[in-house]
Amino acid sequence: MSSKRDLFSKYAVKVDLVKPKRTVFIIRPENVRPLFKDLIEQHGYESFYISTIVGTDLPGEGKIRLDYYVVLLPEEETIVVRTYLDRNNPVIDTLVDIVPGVFNGECETHDLLGIFFRGNPYLKRGFFVSLDIAEKGIYPLRKDSGV
Amino acid sequence: MVCNMTVTKVVEIPLVTTEVPIGPQHPALHEPLLLKVYADGEEVVKVEVNTGYNHRGVEKLCEKNTFYRDIFIAGRVCGICNTVHANCYVRALEYLLDIKPNNRARYLRVLAMELERIHSHMIINAIMAEIVGFETLFMQIMLDRERVMKAKEILTGNRVLGDYMMIGGVRRDIDEVKRARIRDLLVKLKPRIEFYKKVFEEDETIIKRLVEVGLLKPVDVTSHSLVGPVARGSGVRIDSRASDKYDAYDEIPFNVITRTEGDSWARMMVRWDETLEALNMCLYILEKLPADGNPVPDEKRLPRVIPQGESYARVEAQRGELTYYVMSDGKSTYPYRVKIRTPSFNNIINSAFMYVGLSLADVPVALTSLDPCISCMERVIVIDLEKNTKYKLTLKELAGGRV
Repeated sequence: MSSKRDLFSKYAVKVDLVKPKRTVFIIRPENVRPLFKDLIEQHGYESFYISTIVGTDLPGEGKIRLDYYVVLLPEEETIVVRTYLDRNNPVIDTLVDIVPGVFNGECETHDLLGIFFRGNPYLKRGFFVSLDIAEKGIYPLRKDSGV
Repeated sequence: MVCNMTVTKVVEIPLVTTEVPIGPQHPALHEPLLLKVYADGEEVVKVEVNTGYNHRGVEKLCEKNTFYRDIFIAGRVCGICNTVHANCYVRALEYLLDIKPNNRARYLRVLAMELERIHSHMIINAIMAEIVGFETLFMQIMLDRERVMKAKEILTGNRVLGDYMMIGGVRRDIDEVKRARIRDLLVKLKPRIEFYKKVFEEDETIIKRLVEVGLLKPVDVTSHSLVGPVARGSGVRIDSRASDKYDAYDEIPFNVITRTEGDSWARMMVRWDETLEALNMCLYILEKLPADGNPVPDEKRLPRVIPQGESYARVEAQRGELTYYVMSDGKSTYPYRVKIRTPSFNNIINSAFMYVGLSLADVPVALTSLDPCISCMERVIVIDLEKNTKYKLTLKELAGGRV
């Protein structure tokens, strides 16, 4: 059984840093789900929790960046799983069936940025955004949304 | 006629499911949130959490305002925990700027945040007393809570919205007179907190209503990303004060409180013990407050453009881990992205599974133990699955036993 950090390193294509000293593992979108599956199988549910999901629109690069902030337990170390999605078709496999704690984060990111989490049956517009904006198909946190 | 079919499984289908909407507007509700509770008789079979009633677009607002204005916007995300919001955002900027406040400022920040923890834990325990029908206790706790509000006013200049945090320090210093007044208020408060803790430990009504209600196992806590006293009440030791050791938490002694019961009572008891810990920390700070310079930075000399980069700050708010992600493109005085994740966002939205199997009367108790507050239902909609009809009941009809 590899250590938790080794597991993240295994899938990482690049390692970066967010201040203060939060290690960022940049991985391919198709590897996010296998990574968390391996983490659960090898270390169990009590070895981590997903604290938050941060989506950032990067129109200049034609991408949306998706960060999963993961807290490793019991050492309570925060690390980041980062992946990039095509801005015109931002789709990634859901984690909600294996990590129920992402329910709120996936619903929010879908509602505000338009990322589609494939396999998440709970996604809906109007989770946070008021329906008059949602009905126009506007994702407020996109830089060109005009909000 | 003889039937040869063997019954292998009996599935019980409720004939009448009652939908009980709790919220979004409710006199005792902390946050505008709708809990759609589906009950089979008295037993809760499903809960849906509906959000979006108070989404003010604060993250977008932060992108449209300067880094410095955002300090005050962050402080207004929540009234009860405004200094922790501002602290978390300010520290995210300090990480980008590589600025570290002096020791006096770091101690004063902790003092403000721990005073806030005391009054926040007191108010939710008071609300819990009210929910279980112990209104006298509610009044008593709220009366004593005023001492903390006064202490916070002396420190920050305001009872509720402190606007106390600034990049590189705090916005007001305290002198010896103020130190003595705050200490005096806290010394008088301490025996009252000990008394209330004892009431929660010994009172028969409170124990009957809270013990074994809303049980959460440690694996439920981590898999559903629950944080703060909710996690610690189930024996999961998550406390960013102890792990991140921000501001002066690496120098001020305190214990991380955990309990193993995992029920509503354990969560409230964690809060009482944390209140006492916070009170001792405040007294320690007032005694050992460093004098290594002015804790108030000269705001005119602070850099307006924040260097390019990303930072992620965590703070242990009263309700749990609160996080701020800030990204600066290094070109403008506006942040490129601000992401706020409040503890209630996880604790309330992800905890719908906890209510299944509870009786209807326990729903407000379980919800309050997570630290929003909802008292009782106003009306219900009865869905008759046989007739495929819906009708509404008023509270009077419900009290008359029409269901």
